[in-house]
Formats: sequence, structure tokens, C-alpha cells
Amino acid sequence: MNEKQIHPFETMIVVISRLIDNGEVVATGTLSPIPAAALFLAQMRQAPDLVPMVYGDPDMRITDGLLEFFGLAQRGMIDLFFLSAIQIDRKGNFNLSAIGDYNRPKLRLPGGAGSNMMIMMAKRTIFFTLMHNPKLFVPQIDFINGTAQDSTIAWRRGSISHLVTPLCLLKYDQSKEAIVLDSTFPGTTPQTVAENTGFDLDITGRDIPEIDPITQEELDLLRGDVKEKLMRVYPLFCTMIWG
Amino acid sequence: MALQAGANGLPFTPVIGLLNSDYMKINPDFNVMKDPFSDNEYVVVPPIIPDVAVIHAFKGDSFGNVITDSFRNDRLLAMAARKTIAVIEELVDPDEVLPGKHGVFVSMAHIDAVVEAPRGAHPTACRDAYDIDIAHISMYMQAAKNDADFKSYLEKYIVGPADHNEYLELVGCEVPQ
Repeated sequence: MNEKQIHPFETMIVVISRLIDNGEVVATGTLSPIPAAALFLAQMRQAPDLVPMVYGDPDMRITDGLLEFFGLAQRGMIDLFFLSAIQIDRKGNFNLSAIGDYNRPKLRLPGGAGSNMMIMMAKRTIFFTLMHNPKLFVPQIDFINGTAQDSTIAWRRGSISHLVTPLCLLKYDQSKEAIVLDSTFPGTTPQTVAENTGFDLDITGRDIPEIDPITQEELDLLRGDVKEKLMRVYPLFCTMIWG
Repeated sequence: MALQAGANGLPFTPVIGLLNSDYMKINPDFNVMKDPFSDNEYVVVPPIIPDVAVIHAFKGDSFGNVITDSFRNDRLLAMAARKTIAVIEELVDPDEVLPGKHGVFVSMAHIDAVVEAPRGAHPTACRDAYDIDIAHISMYMQAAKNDADFKSYLEKYIVGPADHNEYLELVGCEVPQ
């Protein structure tokens, strides 16, 4: 890869890493190379005291697999978790199960029930998506795996905080109970984001900034120490991005 | 949690989550109950009791005591299932399979059969023993894209080999003597 070219996934990793606070207990689930890389990057920069739980990382020394992991979450001990989805609506409802009718789906994905528990019990959840188009961000989703927040459930702990896509950073606005555009990635306009989103992102009349440029320090760490750590958990992803 | 209920012989168990999801519409097993202690509502589910569980272990003895990977919930599966088959990398003396040293000890109380199969997790990894076979996984993913290629894959790698050693030879792994 050309030294100057930054892969959209690299931008996503950096943007997510900047959202991680020092001292948080941060967990990533299966098939989550982008958040895992963001966790490692944050740990090497502003969050040296975060407690990392990268599922699949040989350095994560737990002794009872997912049972222990879910147990921690259910007791309210995970501050930040990451999910993806195949459909998301304006209210932040997300679908991880099926496209079309659930019983006769056009596309069926494995599992998804764990995501419901995680989003309710992690203090906050950041979504990451590998694409940004109107098939993903839709007016109405086909199956509700979980909701962004829910005031009717007394024991629910957390909600969605942000969504990171290859085009932009979105955030969940608690007062509007809706997803809105926060900032765009270099080379993308708010208009482009709006055209690729199947619902209103509340951009009219608002000044939407571009993200702060990715620094050389962030890029060097990402392509150096972060890549090295990530190779042990997600070798295929690393090869895809960095060759 | 449902496996946990199975492993403990519980009639049902509360689970965290699900209340506000469409899972409540599609699965009649999910019921809502009021917690008599807090008055909060929770979803309750029946136990999961698999007829047969197959687990992969680092080593084991001929009685059925095995040592498994702490990343997995193999002991939980073995405890919940009616019958459990343990596939082991290495058959060793009972003295080398003790609880509380390394790995997760699963007592023979939960195991019904032990199958010795070195590199038995191929093409996935067995931690500390061998890595994932990326080339083979990529080939599998390609083959899985359509029925004809997938059928050829099954015939060549799954149905074709007469035994485990022949499989190992075919995929380019060292065959134990």
C-alpha cells in the first residue's frame, strides 16, 4: 500500500480509538478486528490503564470462555462494547439476524441474541459497519435484535453512543432519541453521507465538521505495534489491509 | 445461561436481555416472569440439554478425564449434554491429567467417549499446539460459495479420506507415527 493512502478501515480504527477513555473496561466480541485494533491503539496512546478484553486474544487470560465474559457483562462490569449490524434505523434499533421475513429470510445470519444482552448491560456500545449505504441504514429494520435505549426496563444499564462507518462518525443523540451525523471523514461531504443513508441524519442547518486529520504518530503506531498485536488475533484482516 | 441451567438440572432460568427484541415474537420458549424479589420482569428460558456434545481437548486419559482450552466452555457443554465425546490431541497417563494445574480440567464424570486425533482441530487452531491453516480455510470459504464446489470439497476432504491419518496427509500435515 502507498504510504500516503489511508484505508477507510484505518480511519475507522483511529476514529474509534479516540472515543475510548482511559480506565474503561473495554471488550470486543467475535469478528471484530476494527474495534480490537482501536482498543490496542487507544491503549498505546491516551488510555494506558484501560482494561482490555479482546475475545480471541491469547493475552486475555480468562478461564471460562464466553460464560465468564457474559457473566462480567451481566454484572455490569463492561464499560464499552462494540457491535455491527446488517440493518440500523434512525432510532438506533439494529438487526443482526435476518433480511426479509424471519421465517423465510433472504439472508440469515448466525446468532445475535447475545448482542441484545451486551447492548443492555455494557455502559455504552459503539457500532462499526464495513459499509455505508441505504441498504444498511434503512427507515425500518426487518428484525429487532435490540434497541438503542429503553427507559421501560429498570435494570437496563447502557445505550448506543456512536456509530462508525467507512464514511463518517455518527452519534446517538439521547434527547432526540435518534442517530445524527457527527463528523465526516476526509473526502466525504455531509451530502454524500445523507445520500447513502435511508433516513434523516439531521444535517440541515448544522455545521458538520470533518474529523481531525489522522496524525503520523497514530498511523505509525497502527501500522507498527497495533498491527503486530492484531496479527495474533485477526491474521486474515491484517493481510487484507496491510498485505 | 440455558446450558448452565442444563448443567445444573434447573427447570428453567432467567436470562438478561431479550425483553425489547423481536426474539420474543419468534421463540415460544421465551417467557416473561416477574422476579418475586425485585418485582422486575425478566425473560425465562428452558434449559438446553444437548443429546450429544463433541469437544476438543489438548490431552486426556483413557478413562475420559481431559484438559480443554479455557477460551471455550467445553466443561459446561460436557456437563449439560446427555452424552459427550472428547476428541483429544494426545492420549496420556491419568497422572498427567489432573485438575488445577494448566488448562481446564473436565472430569470423566461428564465424558462418554475419548477419541485420540492429533491435529484434530484442523483447519482451525489448537492453542499453543498449532495455528489456524489459513490457506485451507480460504479454500474452504471459496468452495462454500456454491453447491457444486462444496460437494467436491466434501468428497475430497471429508468423505474421501479413509481415516484421520489419510486426512492429515491430504491436507499436508505431519502424520504421527
